[in-house]
Amino acid sequence: MTLTRTHAALAALAVVAFVAALAVGRSAFQAEPTPDDAAAAARTSFPDLEAASAEPQLPGLTALQPRPGEVLQAPGRFDDRFVLSDLHFDGGTLSGAAQITSDVSDVLEFEALAGFYDEQGLLVGTGRFVHHLAEGHDHERADHVGDDGGHAGPPSEHEAFSIPVPAEAAGRAVSAAVGVPVLVNE
Amino acid sequence: MGAGNLLEETGMRVTSRNAGVAVVVTAVLAGTVTAGIGTAAAAGTDEGRIKNVIYLVGDGMGRTHVTAASERYYGAAGQLNMEKLPAVGQVSTYAVEKKSGQPGAADFHPNYVTDSASSATAWSSGVKTYNAALGVDPTGEVVPTIMEMAKQAGYRTGNVSTAEITDATPAGQMSHALARGCQGPVYSAAACQDAALTGSALPTSDVRVTPIADQIARNGTADVILGGGLSRFDAEDEKALRDQGYTVIGSPASQTVATRSDLGSASGEKVFGLFNRGNLTVERSKQQNPSAPQAQEPSLPEMTSGAIDLLSDGGRRGKGFYLQVEGALIDKRSHANDAAQTLEETKAFDDAVAVAVDYAKRDGHTLVIVTADHECAGFNIIEKGSFTNAEAATPPGNVDSGNPANDSTPSRPGSSAKDPNRSAGIVNAPGSADPRNFGPATFRTPDDPTAVTDGTPEASLWLSYLSGNHTGADVPVFAFGPGSGELEGSLDNTDLFDIVSRDLRVQR
Repeated sequence: MTLTRTHAALAALAVVAFVAALAVGRSAFQAEPTPDDAAAAARTSFPDLEAASAEPQLPGLTALQPRPGEVLQAPGRFDDRFVLSDLHFDGGTLSGAAQITSDVSDVLEFEALAGFYDEQGLLVGTGRFVHHLAEGHDHERADHVGDDGGHAGPPSEHEAFSIPVPAEAAGRAVSAAVGVPVLVNE
Repeated sequence: MGAGNLLEETGMRVTSRNAGVAVVVTAVLAGTVTAGIGTAAAAGTDEGRIKNVIYLVGDGMGRTHVTAASERYYGAAGQLNMEKLPAVGQVSTYAVEKKSGQPGAADFHPNYVTDSASSATAWSSGVKTYNAALGVDPTGEVVPTIMEMAKQAGYRTGNVSTAEITDATPAGQMSHALARGCQGPVYSAAACQDAALTGSALPTSDVRVTPIADQIARNGTADVILGGGLSRFDAEDEKALRDQGYTVIGSPASQTVATRSDLGSASGEKVFGLFNRGNLTVERSKQQNPSAPQAQEPSLPEMTSGAIDLLSDGGRRGKGFYLQVEGALIDKRSHANDAAQTLEETKAFDDAVAVAVDYAKRDGHTLVIVTADHECAGFNIIEKGSFTNAEAATPPGNVDSGNPANDSTPSRPGSSAKDPNRSAGIVNAPGSADPRNFGPATFRTPDDPTAVTDGTPEASLWLSYLSGNHTGADVPVFAFGPGSGELEGSLDNTDLFDIVSRDLRVQR
């Protein structure tokens, strides 16, 4: 066999082999993913998201202008999930209760944000009630204002709250408003 | 045969010139053979090659939930769709305490009753973690999820739930959070931070304290997202979704929910649709109020069908798809000890299973897995005409008059009797007006005469609950399709991660 015919035969063989390899598909042989590949899969950064710099607010709180002695409900995202009752402001403390009507599992997170207003209906201070149900609780203590704790027995959907007038507004607050910026059920 | 041997076979001497050609041919032949081996293997197992996985979770669905729904709708000899699947097993669901080691480690501290978050992390990320944790291990470190790994590997991905999609089960696949309560729409230190675990508060730029809704709207982990929870999302989230190419049905910016009709006409490679501002509405309410706005919400079977249509359409371009579907309201209604709607939601979930299996049968390369995250409320089928401990004045008798065969204390002289203050009758009939009533709920089945109705003592199916919380019972798993045999026997929920990640070839 001459060199030219040899080259032609080998070239033909190579072409046949190449075509055969294409025909069986590209994905027939894949490398196993490495641990680094898997770790890189986790999405942990969002460049276009501005990091939070404040606690939850209620945009409508400033616009409300309750009359002296009045207690209003400030609008919020979760207003269709609870009913406020027993709202009372005695000049020093706003008290009331929320009955969660949307769900019957544990209330994991609940925050009530109160605004306090002067004679002209201007917002002069805010206060916050926080309920956080931590895992590992002992099912005995209530947990409020950031403390870990628990609940007794089955899930409870009733959250009583009490929010004092902040020092900067003491003596000036004559009315109040309250809303719920945070609500999460299990 | 190498190219050199080929040359010799043809009587040619191997010179430097044709040796170079021989190297090239050898390489090509080697590649062909290798591809051939891979191809041969693929071709030989192409019948069993898994391209898609549909993973269905009945939240709170224990074995008794399945039996009760089966008997309610199909009678004692009938079966739910999931019960007809060929592979059957059971899954342990326990969690661990914060900072615990994994099972087998010296610092392993189990928590026998899980919540939906740690259970979701177990099958999504393959690690035991503490209750409330999503996509983080017991020390609070991020662990990747199957959905993230599948997305990275070129699969299309979908996440469907009848709960808010920021809730634990769907969020476990597409977010990382120290605490499941960090759902949004805004950050809250109380809800998001866990300084006891991390030593000090994390910067708010850390993903682990970033509201879950913000993560979902930006991470692109799930191509198709259908469920509830519109209240958690805002105008910035909608912009972020659209910027990534999502078709957004309804509107987070205007808080306009999407509808069944919107889902039916949705198209595109990425679709985001939320049909309620909170959890989706229970099926029975929609059936009984057909003119209410909530009746426009798609059912779980409809969302499952819609998701499969959207994801499988990408099969021409992608490798296949990974879809998680959750029937969340089984758990919600079990917490409330609401047997009627527990049954309805279990049936709706089972109808979604039928949708998945129908697709799998037609496709031939889809593994369908049906399981639960935990059991909820100790659901039980009790003997007709009997009463439970919750209705009794005292526990059952335990007489031990010195008989060593009994050998137990305390000794209780007689059997219990009903306490009229705790048992006011069948709870879905005469006892329904008493909120303190522990009476069972009764339901007719196809085995009952036509005249028998729910709430009567003649109805066959008597149901009761142990509590309003989760239990530590193992849950069932059913499977269909290639690789389904791996789901047989006794498994742990972390095994589900190993199985699915191996089947999708995205193992860590």
